Amino acid sequence: MEEEEEERNTKKKKKHGSAKREREEREEDGGKRTVKEKAREGRRRKHKRVETSSEPETSEEDELKEETEESDVRPESLTPEELEMLKEAVEEKKKLVQGLRGKPWPMKKKLVTLRESQEFVEKYEGALGKGKGRKLYAYKVMMSKKWMKFQRDFENFKTACIPWEMKIKEIESHFGSSVASYFIFLRWMYGINMILFCLTFGLVMVPEALMGRPYGTIPRKTVPRAEAPSAMDFAVLWDFGGYAQYSVLFYGYYNNQRAIGWLKFRMPLSYFLVGVGTVAYSYMVVIRTMARNANESGVGDDNSFNFSWKIFTSWDYLIGNPETADNKFASITTSFKEAILEEQESRKDDNIHLTRFLRVLANFLVLCCLAGSGYLIYFVVRRSQKFALEGLETHTWWERNEVNMVMSLLGMFCPMLFDVISALENYHPRVALQWQLGRIFALFLGNLYTFIIALMDEINLKREEEKIIKFNITTWEASLYNATGSENSTAPPVTFHPADVPRGPCWETMVGQEFVRLIISDTMTTYITLLIGDFLRAVLVRFLNYCWCWDLEAGFPSYSEFDVSGNVLGLIFNQGMIWMGAFYAPCLPALNVLRLHVSMYLQCWAVMCCNVPQERVFKASGSNNFYMAMLLVILFLSTLPAIYTIVTIPPSFDCGPFSGKKRMFDVIQETLESDFPAWFSKVFSYASNPGLVLPFILLMVLAIYYLQSTSKSYKEANVDLKKKLQTQNEENKRKNKLAALKAQTDLEEARAATQTAERPKNNNASPQRQHAEEEEDLGSSQRKNGRPPPSVRHQDGRPPATRAPVPRTLHPETHRSLGYLPGGGFPQQREPRMHRVPSLQRH
Amino acid sequence: MVSPAIALAFIPLLLTIIIRCRYYFVLFYRAVLVRIWKDCVTGLSREERAYQYVLTHATPGDPESILDTFDVWCSKVEFISNIGPKKGKILDRLLMEQSPLTVLELGAHCGYSTVRIARSLPLGARLYSLEMDARNAVIAEKIIRLAGFDDDTVELIVNPSDEVIPLLRSDYGLERLDFVFMDHWKKCYLPDLQMLEGSGLLGKGSMIVADNVLFPGAPKFLRYIRKSGLYEWKVHRATLEYSKGIRDGMAELVYQGIK
Repeated sequence: MEEEEEERNTKKKKKHGSAKREREEREEDGGKRTVKEKAREGRRRKHKRVETSSEPETSEEDELKEETEESDVRPESLTPEELEMLKEAVEEKKKLVQGLRGKPWPMKKKLVTLRESQEFVEKYEGALGKGKGRKLYAYKVMMSKKWMKFQRDFENFKTACIPWEMKIKEIESHFGSSVASYFIFLRWMYGINMILFCLTFGLVMVPEALMGRPYGTIPRKTVPRAEAPSAMDFAVLWDFGGYAQYSVLFYGYYNNQRAIGWLKFRMPLSYFLVGVGTVAYSYMVVIRTMARNANESGVGDDNSFNFSWKIFTSWDYLIGNPETADNKFASITTSFKEAILEEQESRKDDNIHLTRFLRVLANFLVLCCLAGSGYLIYFVVRRSQKFALEGLETHTWWERNEVNMVMSLLGMFCPMLFDVISALENYHPRVALQWQLGRIFALFLGNLYTFIIALMDEINLKREEEKIIKFNITTWEASLYNATGSENSTAPPVTFHPADVPRGPCWETMVGQEFVRLIISDTMTTYITLLIGDFLRAVLVRFLNYCWCWDLEAGFPSYSEFDVSGNVLGLIFNQGMIWMGAFYAPCLPALNVLRLHVSMYLQCWAVMCCNVPQERVFKASGSNNFYMAMLLVILFLSTLPAIYTIVTIPPSFDCGPFSGKKRMFDVIQETLESDFPAWFSKVFSYASNPGLVLPFILLMVLAIYYLQSTSKSYKEANVDLKKKLQTQNEENKRKNKLAALKAQTDLEEARAATQTAERPKNNNASPQRQHAEEEEDLGSSQRKNGRPPPSVRHQDGRPPATRAPVPRTLHPETHRSLGYLPGGGFPQQREPRMHRVPSLQRH
Repeated sequence: MVSPAIALAFIPLLLTIIIRCRYYFVLFYRAVLVRIWKDCVTGLSREERAYQYVLTHATPGDPESILDTFDVWCSKVEFISNIGPKKGKILDRLLMEQSPLTVLELGAHCGYSTVRIARSLPLGARLYSLEMDARNAVIAEKIIRLAGFDDDTVELIVNPSDEVIPLLRSDYGLERLDFVFMDHWKKCYLPDLQMLEGSGLLGKGSMIVADNVLFPGAPKFLRYIRKSGLYEWKVHRATLEYSKGIRDGMAELVYQGIK
């Protein structure tokens, strides 16, 4: 920037007369001077010019400036030329403001210049134009300013509209990006669950509640007589039995009526499609996010010139409120710590064999631990099956809830043990976090699948039961029919209250209930651990510290750190359970939205109030994709059992939207047959012919293969280009250095020459002038020292493509030509003027 | 009746706690259990046993050897909370930089830190060492003399610190303390510091070093110096003496006076 400007200046100089040059020079370095000073200086210079016999035009112009100053902006009194002049000055100021950032000045000078130029522009901008035109001009300026302000406010508003953005930023500034990444992930998850919730709520629950048959009309929508007395008890409701079980919350409540209400809403079809749609949408979102993240991480060129980037580009100049500034300051400091840590990590090399041994040992220990916990769960599940066979009533509460208890206890304590073990491994914290995540993942997965296997057993039991009940019901109906039919065939059939009708066990509702219970107990465990483990501990540490024999805060228990891996995994597994159970309990997404909402606030509060930042803060932006990958795996693993049950197990005969069908997906066929024209179903049957489907799949595989290979080649090309750019950069740097060296020697020679030439002149010059001479020396030396900046700025990793290498090689010449313009008189005149003003003010 | 499976589920927690706090368990064993056992067996106090060991293993008149012998005894045989070699190095450096002429030591215990300070003092400096317990003071006296420091260099005062500090000016004729080392009861750090401030013995540039401010810890003391503004201070982070995993710190205060 700076070079360009100066280059331009020199070019102009060559073109225009000396007067113009003079003014331009003054404009360029006029940052320190207000108009008043200028005027004063002009007067002064006028006196001086008698001796130095300079150009007459400049003095004229100065007089003009003086005049404008004294008249205090009365544009009516200005001649058109003066106005023109003023306009030009304003333009210059504007240009200066724009190019200020690239000037090699100290920050203080820049700020002063900026403020003064802005003042000048503001003052005289309105004065331009005449009469009506002037007003219009002023109006335009004002409007543009208003517009800018509005835009800024709008940006602020947009940020404020992103939910929890400020909270997360605050946390990020205090705890580093790893903790913030958890909260960002939580927010993202919340968004997805919101959409799932909208789907199930809007297309399944609300239509059934509004348009379906009301409660109590048919057996599946009524609480059975035997359960009726206790159906409203809190304990029962808390277990999602009683009235909660016979409501829209669960699968069993839905009727198999094909179309409901005046809208002819296809309820069973909608139920099925929403079930499929939630899963499909989740897959889509997760994969799309993964792809986008991969893109971002692939392009980033952060690794080179990391620190320069941070130093020069960290501060956010839009920050206007002191608290945010504090936060930003804290966050920059944290990011520096992160960067330094990363750098240290990359330089470290220890005894590699010892580390390897320790890592293997740690993994062995973790495997032992996993195996132990797996066996324990297996043992407990077996035992609970035995209890179930014997009858649950004979056993204590502890024994009945053994599986849940053991699972949640292991899920809570094993990660702690893993954490301790991972201290052996001595990984970089980010890698350690990933290992920890992987281990807890394995543990949770084991737990979840044991749970599913237990559920499967129970489903089989229920289906056996269902067969018997089905048989009983047919005999019951037959006896009923016989009883009524033998007496009087024309009499209306005896109506039973729906609560009295015998019914099947409805395994789908049972599965849904199990999942809802699991989610509830999981949420409870999370919140209770949060309150006890973090809050209570923090309170104890804080207040017991007054009367304890050692320092609790700095010493042993201390405050807890935020456990990123555990929380992320909790979130992911929770989501997996939602995906698994949502088909059988449409209320699950709603529950999850509630849970996420609460935990967002609760955890934000807890982390700010009772946790301390990790000792080793680190950057976790790279781990986002890791979370996503885990989420994808969980999504796959959780849809697997759900799809398995949907496809292989026939639905219950007397509950749910698919009752009476052989398989749940028969609903599609039914719709095709009855709701679409005949040709459509024909086309569909052709399309689903394996002869058509197989080639299509083949084509897709080929397309994927093709896309993958092209993307690979693009990646390689990218890497090559990057390398090329780097080598080019280095070459340029080298050239620049050489040129700078040459320029410096030239400059020194020139200075020596001018000094020897000036010595005789100095003798009869005024002391003021001598002072100015010194100042000039200073200035030129500054200029000399200021040489490096181009190369330094070049180093800090600005994308090199934006700066063409050719003009850069020219810079030294322009600089040199600026430094000692031949003809002696000119540079001396210019430099002293620049520096004399402050010195005079001092006197 | 809690089922055994639930009890088994607590094993990981137990293991975690054991691993996390292993240094504290070791410390407890060495500092408390072994001490009680040896007290019963030998009938001597811990300090006397240490003195016997030093007497038989160290070279008299050589402070270096005495300190080394102490370190060996404390890390291999039993545990006495001296300042230890690592934090001792920091103390040595501070003393070298400061080269104080009048030094006050609160809590001589059995003389380890006294010897440590006395050996790095400049010529003509004088060390006043306070010890509350008479039995320990006897041992400390012996150790100090064994190391070859006479009454002119080290003066041992057997009295609690809160009684002695007000008398320092009148009875001992002190004008100014250049260096104060605190290693007595952690609860007394704060009152003693305030007493020192009140007595006017601290001048600009006087240095106060307090050991064990993190473990066992003197939170009130730290809070006070953070707030008071009379000091320039920092905490040298280290580990507890003769133990690797317990974090501890040594506070270094430089008195600035009221500005």
